[in-house]
Amino acid sequence: MNSIDELASEYVLGTLPAEQRAEVEQRLATDTALRAAVDAWEQRLLPLTEQAAPATPSVYLWRRIERSLGHSATHGSPVSWWNRLALWRGLAGAGIVASLVLATLLLTRTAVIHPTAYLVVLVAPQNQAPGWVIQASNTQEIQLIPLGVMEVPADKTLQFWTKGEDWQGPVSLGLVKPGQTLSVPLDKLPPLAPNQLFELTLENPGGSKTGKPTGPIQAIGRAVKVI
Amino acid sequence: MPEADFDYEACLLACARGEQPALRGLYQQESSRLLGVALRIVRDKAVAEDIVHDAFIKVWKGAASFDPHKGSARGWVYSVTRHLALNAVRSSGREVPLSEEHERAEHTDTFDYQARSGRIYSCLEQLDPARRNCILHAYVDGYSHSEIAQKLGTPLGTVKAWIKRSLAALRECMA
Repeated sequence: MNSIDELASEYVLGTLPAEQRAEVEQRLATDTALRAAVDAWEQRLLPLTEQAAPATPSVYLWRRIERSLGHSATHGSPVSWWNRLALWRGLAGAGIVASLVLATLLLTRTAVIHPTAYLVVLVAPQNQAPGWVIQASNTQEIQLIPLGVMEVPADKTLQFWTKGEDWQGPVSLGLVKPGQTLSVPLDKLPPLAPNQLFELTLENPGGSKTGKPTGPIQAIGRAVKVI
Repeated sequence: MPEADFDYEACLLACARGEQPALRGLYQQESSRLLGVALRIVRDKAVAEDIVHDAFIKVWKGAASFDPHKGSARGWVYSVTRHLALNAVRSSGREVPLSEEHERAEHTDTFDYQARSGRIYSCLEQLDPARRNCILHAYVDGYSHSEIAQKLGTPLGTVKAWIKRSLAALRECMA
């Protein structure tokens, strides 16, 4: 063995005194020959770690490690919101849709500057997947644009609803066929306002008999002022 | 989980990407064995837990610089832990605190050694038991030359020479 290999072997074995250990550790950053010799000795002797009997760490050790790294402790639910793929996919999808719509609005806008325009992205409540977009270039009429064909059971129909922040309850905007683009006049309702709620619910054919949504929400979103 | 089923390299890559569950997976997989390795060297449960704590911080922060061409990912995690433990006992200047419990065996067969399969073990078998014990006491117990000399009742110079020659013999045997 050459001197580098000897030094590496005693470093890995653990018999070097403190000063020499510190020296080796300093040299490892730059000395590739010593690094290679140490790596080789680590590999050779690694199986000897099996001689030490395992010991169970206290329950606090992992929490301490998390705290030191500034990671949030993972109590309770095994999957935190940070790891919910559907949530991030949905939000990313909604972001893409919003930017496409905004880009389209920007490129196709006529010289007439409308005083206000609104945008709503309707997402599925379970997984936040965007299903519809509503755009309004004025507060009197809106367009409901599907982003795909939503599957609706044969014996059900989609009903479109809206509710302003200070309204008593939702008001029906009519029935919607999956995949259909729809223009809805809002002339009988108060003007469109920011944060106004829009949703599509699954109802029996002909729509809700009570005049209020009764079935499960398929897509939901709130109006955002874009200009 | 058996070692063969845990992808240590993928785990370190995930840590390098900042994926916290990967570090947790590594902890679940190795913490008790790593604590065993550290405990054997520092001989104090609280200190050993500090070592494992520091090792996981080092693994998380150093995962991005881990180079799989230079050795196994699992080996690296063990090396990080062992060297933290060795630095702790060497810098604390622990010498000869091999109290009563360590003085029972004064003969050559001081290390309760479990032969396993693998190259290193078949090469260790070829060493004289006293010399083999020097290597095991040093690597597993973290003993210094003088601690081994005291334990085996052998002159310090002899222990140093034995270790040097045993290491050379192991290297040759494993080549």
